[in-house]
Amino acid sequence: MGLLSMLKRLRSSPDKELRILLLGLDNAGKTTLMKKLASEDVSHITPTQGFNIKSVQADGMKLNVWDIGGQRKIRPYWRNYFEFTDILIYVVDSADRKRVDETGFELNELLNDDKLEGVPVLVYANKQDLALAAQASEIAQELNLHLIRDRPWQIQACSGIRGEGIKEGLEWIGQNVKKK
Amino acid sequence: MWLYLIRSSVYWYVRKMIKWFLHKITKLCELQRICYTLSVGAPRTLNVERSLRDSIIPQICGLLTVLDARSSERTFYFGRTILLPNAMSTIAHVKRIDKSERALNALEQCVDKIWSYMQLIEEIKHNASIQYDCTNDVHEKSLLFLWDELMPNDRLENRVTKQWQDIGFQGDDPKTDFRGMGLLGLDNLVYFASKYTCLARNALSHSMHPEHGYEFAIVGINLTSFALGLVVDGSAKTHFYNKRNAPEYEDFHEFYCYLFWEFDKFWLDKKPKDLMEFTTYRKQFEKNIRQKLEKTDTVFLIDVPNDHPING
Repeated sequence: MGLLSMLKRLRSSPDKELRILLLGLDNAGKTTLMKKLASEDVSHITPTQGFNIKSVQADGMKLNVWDIGGQRKIRPYWRNYFEFTDILIYVVDSADRKRVDETGFELNELLNDDKLEGVPVLVYANKQDLALAAQASEIAQELNLHLIRDRPWQIQACSGIRGEGIKEGLEWIGQNVKKK
Repeated sequence: MWLYLIRSSVYWYVRKMIKWFLHKITKLCELQRICYTLSVGAPRTLNVERSLRDSIIPQICGLLTVLDARSSERTFYFGRTILLPNAMSTIAHVKRIDKSERALNALEQCVDKIWSYMQLIEEIKHNASIQYDCTNDVHEKSLLFLWDELMPNDRLENRVTKQWQDIGFQGDDPKTDFRGMGLLGLDNLVYFASKYTCLARNALSHSMHPEHGYEFAIVGINLTSFALGLVVDGSAKTHFYNKRNAPEYEDFHEFYCYLFWEFDKFWLDKKPKDLMEFTTYRKQFEKNIRQKLEKTDTVFLIDVPNDHPING
């Protein structure tokens, strides 16, 4: 009940307040991105058991970011956090070539879920600082993003640890929220 | 801002006056008074630390600079047999304390604990910054040893395998899970599993509970981060100062084991409905521990025997 009332409160606040859901496989860099958004230290991040929430002011918007753990055992709980989501941010470890299929599968599950119908999706192709990282365009192709027709989407190359590319993603969010 | 400045300067003068007055009637300096009136352990050591840090006497300030430098270079442990007598003779000289006095011994123990604790902070920060490296034999052996200690009846089929998830790692290869806590996370787990094998296996079996379970290794790494935070922000001083010996690296492992053991009991007791409640209960657990550490007589000890091995 606590969670539900919290959600309702978020919903009823001023229109520039957004509920952002941060998802992706384990070790994709979700918590790092979130901490970077809040300008916090990212040197001692541990795997997320459960979830983290943070409110961040960015680009004139108040973002309530929900960062949910990405490990296999937690993924079934992702659905519990779908309701009232304004933007889905999906984080991909661009250097983790072995799990491209897995991350693509999970993204597809999300896009096909009724509760997330029409929710704009921003894919961060994270870890661009690593030598083995695939380019954003490659990731977009492997995830079949071009087949998405029912919502706005965007792919953005970034490096959470260096803080590069995150701002560009936020700008896209700003533009797509105004359209709504 | 102004109010703060006025308040702190008033505080400073009042304190100075009280110190002068007490000095006149007792013929003892503040450090001696602390050693004679406060009980051994955290109350005494915390006050000695405050008194030394507040000192404006150049020799004392110089001494602190040297000791601080040694502990931040992680050479205090190594040099303590020379550093401690030197420190004591400086303090005795400046404060005109007779070298045969009992207070000096007590003071030496305090100084030892204070700067050993400071070095401990550096030691654990250093180990947390060493990334887990698959090409390093020592790291790999340590990881495999962890498996053997926790799962004596199951052979690891491969270095990269889903089996790691049985002991609560996220995926097929634990290496990425160590990220923020580096080798410290692994060292902690290995110590817990090898020194408190029964307790660790007990906790592991609790963690596998179909409804109220948790991820053993991930929670373990999270607790490393918690323990590190408590030591670095100084909250853990009560515990470490109350122990008989000056803190060393192994004492951090002991502190960690206590937290793990306590968390396991706490989680079991709460019967959470699923893993997502970790966030809430983790915060509550942290609050409980911090409250305990605020009491100056707190010392964390695992008070159950660890000698009934469980098979499997």
